Amino acid sequence: MGLTVIKPFRACPVLLTGALLWLTVVVPAQADEPQPERAQDLRYGWVLYEYHQGNAFEALTQLAVAREQGGIDGHGDHPALVEGGLMLSWGMTREASRLFTQLLGNDGAGSTLSPDVRNQAWFYLGKVFYLEGDHGLASENLERVDGDILAEANHELFREWIYLRARLAMMSSRFGDESELASLQSQLKDTDIWSLYLRYNSAVSALAAGDAVTAEAKLQALIAIIEQSTDSGEPEAEREGVLGRARLSLARLNLRDNQFEAALDVLGDMPLNGVFADQALFDYAVAAAGQGRPERALDALDTLSNRDLFLPWRQQVPFARAYVLEQMNRPQQALPAFKQAADHYQARIEELDNIRNRLSEENLMAQLDFGRESDGILTDSYGRLRVQPADFGMAEVLASETFQQALAELNELYRIQSFIAERQSRFESFRIMLETREQQRQVRIAQTRRALENQQADQWQQLHQEFSEKISSALTEEDVGFFMTSKQKALRDKLDEVEETLAGLPDDATTASQRATYQRMRAYFDWWIADDYGVNRWAAQKQLRELNREMDRFQAQRQRVETLMADDARHAELARRIAASERELATLGEEVADVLGNARQALLSQVDRMLLAQKEELNGYLLASRHAQARLADQLFRASQNAGAGDE
Amino acid sequence: MATCLNHRFPALLAALTLALTAPAFAQTNTGADKDDKAVAEQVEALKKKVIRLNRDLFILEEDLLFPANTQVAVFLSVDAGKFLKLDAVKLKVGDEIVASYLYTERQVKALERGGMQRLYVGNLKTGVHQMTAFVEGIGPDQRPYKQAASLEFEKGTGTAALEIRVEDRSSDYQPSVSIVEWE
Repeated sequence: MGLTVIKPFRACPVLLTGALLWLTVVVPAQADEPQPERAQDLRYGWVLYEYHQGNAFEALTQLAVAREQGGIDGHGDHPALVEGGLMLSWGMTREASRLFTQLLGNDGAGSTLSPDVRNQAWFYLGKVFYLEGDHGLASENLERVDGDILAEANHELFREWIYLRARLAMMSSRFGDESELASLQSQLKDTDIWSLYLRYNSAVSALAAGDAVTAEAKLQALIAIIEQSTDSGEPEAEREGVLGRARLSLARLNLRDNQFEAALDVLGDMPLNGVFADQALFDYAVAAAGQGRPERALDALDTLSNRDLFLPWRQQVPFARAYVLEQMNRPQQALPAFKQAADHYQARIEELDNIRNRLSEENLMAQLDFGRESDGILTDSYGRLRVQPADFGMAEVLASETFQQALAELNELYRIQSFIAERQSRFESFRIMLETREQQRQVRIAQTRRALENQQADQWQQLHQEFSEKISSALTEEDVGFFMTSKQKALRDKLDEVEETLAGLPDDATTASQRATYQRMRAYFDWWIADDYGVNRWAAQKQLRELNREMDRFQAQRQRVETLMADDARHAELARRIAASERELATLGEEVADVLGNARQALLSQVDRMLLAQKEELNGYLLASRHAQARLADQLFRASQNAGAGDE
Repeated sequence: MATCLNHRFPALLAALTLALTAPAFAQTNTGADKDDKAVAEQVEALKKKVIRLNRDLFILEEDLLFPANTQVAVFLSVDAGKFLKLDAVKLKVGDEIVASYLYTERQVKALERGGMQRLYVGNLKTGVHQMTAFVEGIGPDQRPYKQAASLEFEKGTGTAALEIRVEDRSSDYQPSVSIVEWE
C-alpha cells in the first residue's frame, strides 16, 4: 500500500504533559470548587516549584519525601494528581495509570478533584496509552472522559479527544460501523486540522479494507476542503503537509489504476518546494512513463538524480532512469545508465554491509543530531527526544514510534546512570559528615562531664542522704529539739547559759527570785516547744519533700545526660542507613547496567533490521540492473552483428 | 525478474515505491515490540527505585547536616507579577549573608504559578535570631526595585520554617515583601 496513517502528534509546545494537567488544577473550570491560591504545605510548594520547571525527577522525589514525613496537608487529591502528571511526563505510564485509577476510580466518586480535572487526567492517560500502542487501555481511559465538560473547559483537548476516539474506532474490530465514525467526525468542523487528519486516515482505513473507490473519494473530498479553506486558523504548514500527503496518496491510487492522466493532474498541483516534492517528482515520472511520455519522465528522473540519494526510497531512481532510457529506445545510453545504477547499488550494498558490521551505539548516535539546552537533551511532551537524522538514511527508522521510545529509554537510563554516579560520589562526604558529627558529639560530652564534675553532684547527694536520715531518726524518737526553729534554738542556748550561771551561784535569797524566774521561763519554753513541735516537724518535712523532689529531678536529668553520653544509637542508625543506601545504590547501578545493555541491543537491532531491509531492496535493484545490462549488451551486440552482416 | 521489469515498468516502479516504504512500517509491528516493552517496563521499575533511593538519600543528608532540633529552612513564594518582576533575592541571618540567588525566567514563572523555592536550609541555636531578606527586581513603571523585610524570631527545639512572601499590593500598586513564620 502506498498510503500510511498520519500520526499527527507533532512536537507540542514546550509544556510537559504534567504542566498541562497542572494548568487545569490551578484554573478550575468549576467555580464551586475552592482551589488553594497558595501552597498550604511548604513541601508541596517546593514540589510545585520543581514541577513547573519540568524537573519531574526532583518533584517526584519531594513528593516521596513528603509522603515519608507524614504527607501533604491542605491540598486533598491534588498532590496525587500532580504526581500522576509527573509520572506521565517522566515515562512512568504504568505507575501513572495505577495512581490515576486509584485516585479517580472508574467514576471519580470519592475524589475531591473537579470533574474537569478528572476528565483531563483520563484524557492524558488515554493519550499516552494510545501513543504506546495499547489501544485497549487507551479506549478504556478515553471513554471515561465526559465530552461536554471537556469541550467547555478545554476545547483544544476536546478536539484531540474526538480524533483519538475516532482513530481507535477505525483501528478496532468495530470498524465498518461508519455511523460511529461519522458521529464523532460531525463534532469537528470540516476545516479543523484534526478533522483533516481523520479524513486522511479514514481513506487509509478504507483502502486497507480493500475499498479503493471510497478511499479515492475521501481523498478528493479532503483535498477540496483544504483548498477551499485558505483562511483557516490552523497552522499553514500543517495544512499544507496534509494536503501534500493527500495529493501524493491520490496520485498513487491513480497510478495503481493506470489513470496516468489523472495522476499527472494531481501531481501537477503540488509545489516543487514542498515536503513531498521529490516523491511527487518520482510519481510524476512514473505517470508520464505510463502515459507514453518518456521524455517528461526522464526530465523528472534527471532532476532527482542530481540530488543526493540519501533517502532509501530514492534508491530506485538510478534504475528507473536507465529503464526509461531503454523505453525511449536509446540502448546506447541505457546500457551505461544500467551499469551506473548497478555500480551505485553495489557500492551502496557494500556501504550498508560496512555500516552493519561496525554498527555500534557510538556510530548510531553520531548519525543523530539531538536538540539540546543547558540542562540536557530537549524532549517533547511525552519524553521523546528532539532528534534529527544527520544521515537521512536514518529518517525512516527514526520516525518509528518504537525507535523513538527506545531512544528515549536509552537516554533515561543514561540519566539514571549519571544520577547513580553522582550519588555514589556523595557517600564519602556522608561518612565525613558522620565522623564530624561524632567528633562534635565527643567534644560536647567532654564539656558536659566537666560541667557535671563542677556541680559536685555526688557530694550533694550524700548530704541529702544524711539529712534525710537525721530527720527520719528524729521523727522516730520524737526529738522535739531537732525540729526547733533557729529562734527557739537561740533561746534554748540562752536558757542553758542562764541555768549554768545559776548553778554556779550560791543558793540564797538573792538568787531565789532569779531561779524562780528561770524556772518560769524554762517551763514556758518547754511548753512552747511542745506546742510548736507539730508545726516545726511539718515545716521540716515539707522542706525535705521539696528537696527530695529537686534531688529526684536533678538525678533524672543527670541520668538522661549520662544515657545520652553513653548511647550512640543515633550514630549507629545513621551509619547503618548510609551503608544500606550505598548497597542499594550499587545494586541499582548493576540493574541499570543490565537494562542499559538490553536497551542498547534493542535499539541497534531495530537499526540493523532497517539496514537489512534496505539491503534486500538494493539487491533487487542490483539484480534487475545487471539483468538489464546483460540484455542490452546482448541486444547491442546482436545489432552490431546484424549491421556487420548487412555491410558484408 | 528481468521479464517483469521489462513489461510492467509503471507497476514495478509503483510497487518498488511501496515496497521501499513497507519495511519501515513493518518494523513497528515485528516481534521486537515485546522486547522493547520489556525494556520499557524495566526502565519504569528502575525509575521507581531511583525515586525511592533519592528520597532516602535526601532524608539521610538532611538528618546528617541539619538535625531537626537545629534546622531552619527559608522558603520563597511569589504571589506577584503585576508590580514586580523578580530578579534576585539575598538572605541574611544576623549579620551574615547566608543565601543569594539570581532567578531565570523559568524559575520566576514556576514561583508565580504557586511554586515555593527552598532558598536556604541551615542550622541555628535555640534563641532569638534576626532574619532579613532583600528582594530585587523590576518594579512598577519598569524601574529597578529593591525592598527588604526583616523578622526577629525565636528558634525553639524543633525545626523552624520561614517564608519570604513577595506579593502584589493593590492598595498602593506596589509589591510587598514580608517574612512569615510557619507553625
